[in-house]
Amino acid sequence: MEFLIFLGIIAVLVAWVIAIYNKLVALKNQYQNGFAQIEVQLKRRYDLIPNLIETAKGYISHERETLEAVVNARNQAMAGLKAASADPSNGAAMQELASAEGALGSALAKLNVVVEAYPDLKANENMMQLSEEITTTENRVAFARQAYNDQIMEYNTYRQSFPPMVFANMFGHPTDATLLEFEDSEAIQAAPKVSFD
Amino acid sequence: MNFYRAQQDARRKTWQLGLLFGGAVLSLIVLTNLLVGVSAFLLSNAGSAQGVDLNLLETIPLEFWAMVSAGVIGVVGLACLYKYFAIRGGGRAVAESLGGTRLLQGTKDYKHKRLLNVVEEMALAAGIAVPPVYLIDEPSINAFAAGMGTDDAVIGINQGTIDLLNREELQGVVAHEFSHIMNGDTRINLRLIMMLHGILFIGLVGYMILRSTGHRRSGRDGNSGLPLLVLGGGLMAIGYGGTFFGNLIKAAVSRQREFLADGSAVQYTRNPQGIGGALKKIGGYVSGSQMLHPNAKEASHMFFGDAVQNRLANFLSTHPPLPVRIKAIEPNWNGEFPAIDAAQLAQQINAENPLASSFSGATVTVAEDDFDVIEQEVAAVNEVVGNPSDESHDNALLVMQSTDSRLIEAAHNPLGAKALAYAMLLSSDPNQRQQQLQWLASQEQLNIPEHTAQLNSLLEESDDLHQITLLRAAMPALKEMSRAQYQKFFRTLVDLIKSDKRIELFEWVLHRLLVKEVRPHFERVKAIRWRYAELDQVASETCVLLSALAQAASDQTAAQEQAFTQGLSSSGVTGKFDASDDPNFARLTTALNRLKQLAPLAKPKLIKACAATVLADANVTVAEGALLQGVAATLDCPLPPAIYRHIS
Repeated sequence: MEFLIFLGIIAVLVAWVIAIYNKLVALKNQYQNGFAQIEVQLKRRYDLIPNLIETAKGYISHERETLEAVVNARNQAMAGLKAASADPSNGAAMQELASAEGALGSALAKLNVVVEAYPDLKANENMMQLSEEITTTENRVAFARQAYNDQIMEYNTYRQSFPPMVFANMFGHPTDATLLEFEDSEAIQAAPKVSFD
Repeated sequence: MNFYRAQQDARRKTWQLGLLFGGAVLSLIVLTNLLVGVSAFLLSNAGSAQGVDLNLLETIPLEFWAMVSAGVIGVVGLACLYKYFAIRGGGRAVAESLGGTRLLQGTKDYKHKRLLNVVEEMALAAGIAVPPVYLIDEPSINAFAAGMGTDDAVIGINQGTIDLLNREELQGVVAHEFSHIMNGDTRINLRLIMMLHGILFIGLVGYMILRSTGHRRSGRDGNSGLPLLVLGGGLMAIGYGGTFFGNLIKAAVSRQREFLADGSAVQYTRNPQGIGGALKKIGGYVSGSQMLHPNAKEASHMFFGDAVQNRLANFLSTHPPLPVRIKAIEPNWNGEFPAIDAAQLAQQINAENPLASSFSGATVTVAEDDFDVIEQEVAAVNEVVGNPSDESHDNALLVMQSTDSRLIEAAHNPLGAKALAYAMLLSSDPNQRQQQLQWLASQEQLNIPEHTAQLNSLLEESDDLHQITLLRAAMPALKEMSRAQYQKFFRTLVDLIKSDKRIELFEWVLHRLLVKEVRPHFERVKAIRWRYAELDQVASETCVLLSALAQAASDQTAAQEQAFTQGLSSSGVTGKFDASDDPNFARLTTALNRLKQLAPLAKPKLIKACAATVLADANVTVAEGALLQGVAATLDCPLPPAIYRHIS
């Protein structure tokens, strides 16, 4: 009799702990899959930038410094994305990506200021189309990032809640996942809009 | 196989499985009681060397046996419950437990794009929401479908599958998986996992007892451990034995459904070479269809090909032998598997013309409108439900081909899909539209309001039915939102629908589709119970539905009445035409909520009656078609868009 009750209690406890384990795994899977959407859109953005530079070159080849800054920032960000997507739970890589993105954002903003001074370039069909695409992509990145951060929050909140927090460390979830905040996100969103319209 | 029959069969099979499971639990109880009796007996005699005291068994009170039985039920129940919670997440949870990563529409990878296109075409042809696709990082050729219904279903495909199969073969595999989704197999499969886990758990408990006594025995002298040893070993034998027989049942059920799915795949694609070629490649490939992931074993019955090799015991295989499956599709097959050179094949597939893979099936032809007899039409409607033919496939291709690429692009990413849904809801009246956009600007950030306005102008030329197809294509992207984003989206959407103080037909349909096909991804939705076996039991609801369809068919009361009568006579129930206005479709919604509790075998009659009403004047208006889509989705009878070729 006691034995059975004991057995029952053990069974309940075991099932409960396994359920916690599974939920942690599921939430982690969810946010890692969520990063894929950001990746797709960021890649699209990085692919557009060389075209942008190519078009701008024809008009402002003497603004070498500005153009190079954008190219470098883009390459940095690309490397950052690669590292982050290899393991979205790596907080350091995520922060790296965030700051690289910030740098790219301000480099692009600088380029926009320069472009402002060249009405011909601004009116260039190609340039307008590209800037429109970049704006759209940036919005998509922002939306995907919002979704990603929601999922991170869900994971972190669960990880920190009472019973899971006891086991989280043991089950291979020692730290909170890092939110992906772009340092200069306001500027990124606003910049292309102001300049090319 | 007939869609309704398959649904009913699937449900009956679930019942049979339930009964078998009940029998299994009963025998578990009996066996465990016996075992506990023997252990208790041993325990009492452990100390005494002389004689056996058989009277002991009589001294054990009846409650004790009841306790043991309750214990068994409790343990099995808990284990099942635990598994239930694990798979409650539906297809998504299963795919992720197998290590799948979600494929996204924006992908640049040609093979990923091709796979997503194949799945999208198939879903649109079938008239169901496009399921999310998960890529499993395994080199073998295999695939699976998982989910409780068409709405939470996902499709999983191995890396090897997209690397080694050409487009035709890939299409065959995807069609096979779609058949599992549409025939309700995926649901049975999840139930099976749950039940088997319950039985297996008894064995695990035995194992644990055995281990713990093992430890103790090494510490002290052995005798007192013996009964526990017997108990543990016995429980293990019962549990694992039970699992063995459970696996037999699982394999038998699965083998049967695989044949059916192969047949349906040929039917959907009208191309035996596709699925036949895929099966042959499995046979000729070193890795075959074997899955390496540890969780794959438990889900072995959900895969396209054998996930676990069972060379010794055929009766434990979850799939019929490859040669048998191939012969069933291609009776003239010579029995030879092609030798697969993975590297070479991958190169060939990469060399396929990428353009041919997107929506440019080049030789698409649409059948001429050659039906004069309405009777034929009405009868044919039920055949297309849940049975996408190659014709509906071409039709879906055609619809997507003729769509502005910017609309398709929007449908393929979450932000765009959200704006697209809003854009479909904007009023046609410019003033009102302006107001709605202004309101939207106060609700949404990013460039959603601008994007919505832009998409709205692109939508101007597409009719309601086209928009419904587009919305279906947008479903996977909508499911990529986070829960918080989804909640916001849905609130805004409903407010937008209500903004003009009245619900229009198209708004109603759109809302229905989203509730039906997106909500289950984010929220728990109650399973539908089948309460009504006959259409007579819901006669008044049937009349409400047919009246609504008749009203959409024409403006004239006489024509409406005639359409209604036509539909009613085909349904076999009696009732009156209700010509009164149905503000905001409240009456129709209530009626449909009851009608969806009809058993599958009673549904063809209802769908037939709907078709008869709609076709009464030999021409389907867009309004009728759209309404029919909303109705069919609610009733869980996927209607391929092909039936609308007579739209004037």
